[in-house]
Amino acid sequence: MAKLTEKSLETNLKLNNIMNREDILTKVTNAFSRVLGHRNFKLTDATTAEDVDGWESITHMMIISEIEATFQIKFKLMDLMNMNSVGDLLDSIASELHLKEL
Amino acid sequence: MRFIKNIQKSIETLRQHPALCIQNNYFTYQDFETQIKKIRQAIINTTDASNKLIGLITNDDLQTYASIIALWLEGKAYVPVNPETPLDRNIQIFELTNISIVLDSSKTSIYKEFQVINTSNLTEQHPNLTPSNCNGQDLAYILFTSGSTGVPKGVPITFNNVQALVDAIDAEPTFNLMHTDKCLQMFELTFDFSVVTYLFPILSGACMYTIPKGAIKYFYIFKLIKEKKLTVLTMVPSIINYLRPYFKEINEPSVRYCSFGGGALHADIAKEWSNCLPNGKIFNYYGPTEFTVYSGFYPYHKDTHTKAYNGIIAIGTPQKDTIYSVVDENNKQVEVGEIGELCLSGPQITPGYWQNEERNRLSFFIREEQGIPIRYYKTGDLCIKDKDGDYLYVGRADFQVKIRGYRVELAEIEFHARTINPLKVNVVALDVYNSLGNAEIALAIESEPYDTTNMIAYMKQKLPSYMIPMHLKFFKEFPHSINGKIDRKILRNQFEIK
Repeated sequence: MAKLTEKSLETNLKLNNIMNREDILTKVTNAFSRVLGHRNFKLTDATTAEDVDGWESITHMMIISEIEATFQIKFKLMDLMNMNSVGDLLDSIASELHLKEL
Repeated sequence: MRFIKNIQKSIETLRQHPALCIQNNYFTYQDFETQIKKIRQAIINTTDASNKLIGLITNDDLQTYASIIALWLEGKAYVPVNPETPLDRNIQIFELTNISIVLDSSKTSIYKEFQVINTSNLTEQHPNLTPSNCNGQDLAYILFTSGSTGVPKGVPITFNNVQALVDAIDAEPTFNLMHTDKCLQMFELTFDFSVVTYLFPILSGACMYTIPKGAIKYFYIFKLIKEKKLTVLTMVPSIINYLRPYFKEINEPSVRYCSFGGGALHADIAKEWSNCLPNGKIFNYYGPTEFTVYSGFYPYHKDTHTKAYNGIIAIGTPQKDTIYSVVDENNKQVEVGEIGELCLSGPQITPGYWQNEERNRLSFFIREEQGIPIRYYKTGDLCIKDKDGDYLYVGRADFQVKIRGYRVELAEIEFHARTINPLKVNVVALDVYNSLGNAEIALAIESEPYDTTNMIAYMKQKLPSYMIPMHLKFFKEFPHSINGKIDRKILRNQFEIK
């Protein structure tokens, strides 16, 4: 058990080296602008669909698949249904990347 | 009107029971009753007998639903407009229907040129819910759909039409809502499908769960099913198309009924979805706005009832008091097994498009049957009646195109393109026109680009050469109309043909 924790700590550190939250945010911002066709937004943890022009049900599905392709991850439906802000999205990406590394 | 009396009865017997769940706030039938009484009193104070049509801004709140019932108790019709639709178009709808009074629950109304009743800010209550005497031929609502000439097309529906819909659904023994049911209400109130998703829960004292305007629809619906344990779902097929990548994670035993309508339900996805609802009965409903939402259904079952045509689930048989007739260009009934345009007759038929005689002449006809004149609505949908008496959906009449003189069903091309595709992606076949004005087949594929050599080779084995797509284009996501249907017009414009 202790060994596992050590390993995940190590992975966490490794992961933090490879891709910190800032890097994730940059890639996410690029994915948003590719789908929405504009850059008239600044994403922060608190940003929600209401704050970004064109971010609605259909484009959200496109953004999600764009992000899945960018990071080579697959979100779980349970995570997607509780995703209410960009902060939630970044957390989910970080946790999927973490699982991938394990 | 019996159904309005039954609404009163349902509300008065289940006062403590939840009626609506909006953004996680529950409202009981008693809350609903209070709102209805307040709005009813305001309607009486503000309108007279000449104001039969009242505008309604469709916010996602208790007041908006209560407004519909309050208007019906007073024998008046609602003309809904979506607050997210451009203001000019909404005003155009009110002008077309000579609306002077608008019910709006918004904090500040932008409908300044109309007399606005702010339904969120009322105190005086009407003493009861007893319906006033209403004439069955008076209108219950008018819904507007896009018209080919750019002017929205109004479809008026009478109280008698709605009563006939209620009678037909009541006569169906396999569909019975209970007051314990939890029902999904995902539709905008300007979309006719919404009539069944609010009316039937209210009539049975069940609770409906709405989708907030800003929410990501697809995941919010799943969240509601999962967390609230919804029992009755009514959806357009595009919802499950989007949820399809996650079907493996969906297993919802609480769902008793799942009704589809408003678009073609594909056999392969119906089967997979059916596996997500181990206790759910699936109905494939059919019906145009002009015939008061539903005209009939096919009871789909993944093992026993899988009748389909070109991969699209059958639309089954007409419901009580509805007559189907499949006709040729001269409105003459065709033989069993032959393709023709589906026409509908019965008590749910609209009196005709709102102030549009030209359209009415094209879309309705009267045929004498055994000495009695029967009025039919031409749906524009191509169907076949099979030897069991089931109706099979073939495609839109306007999706039937002529390529080099041959008649082509676009749905057939889509069927073969979908069959060969291992990724089971969505495809849409379109007729596009080259510089010579000739129609050519184009295929829009909802996917990342991939090598289509195999697909085309397969289609060449299955279809005559004139049906093989000459243009291919990949789309990350298909454009959808506000009602969730694929917007073929926008797709077609994406093909630049020389």
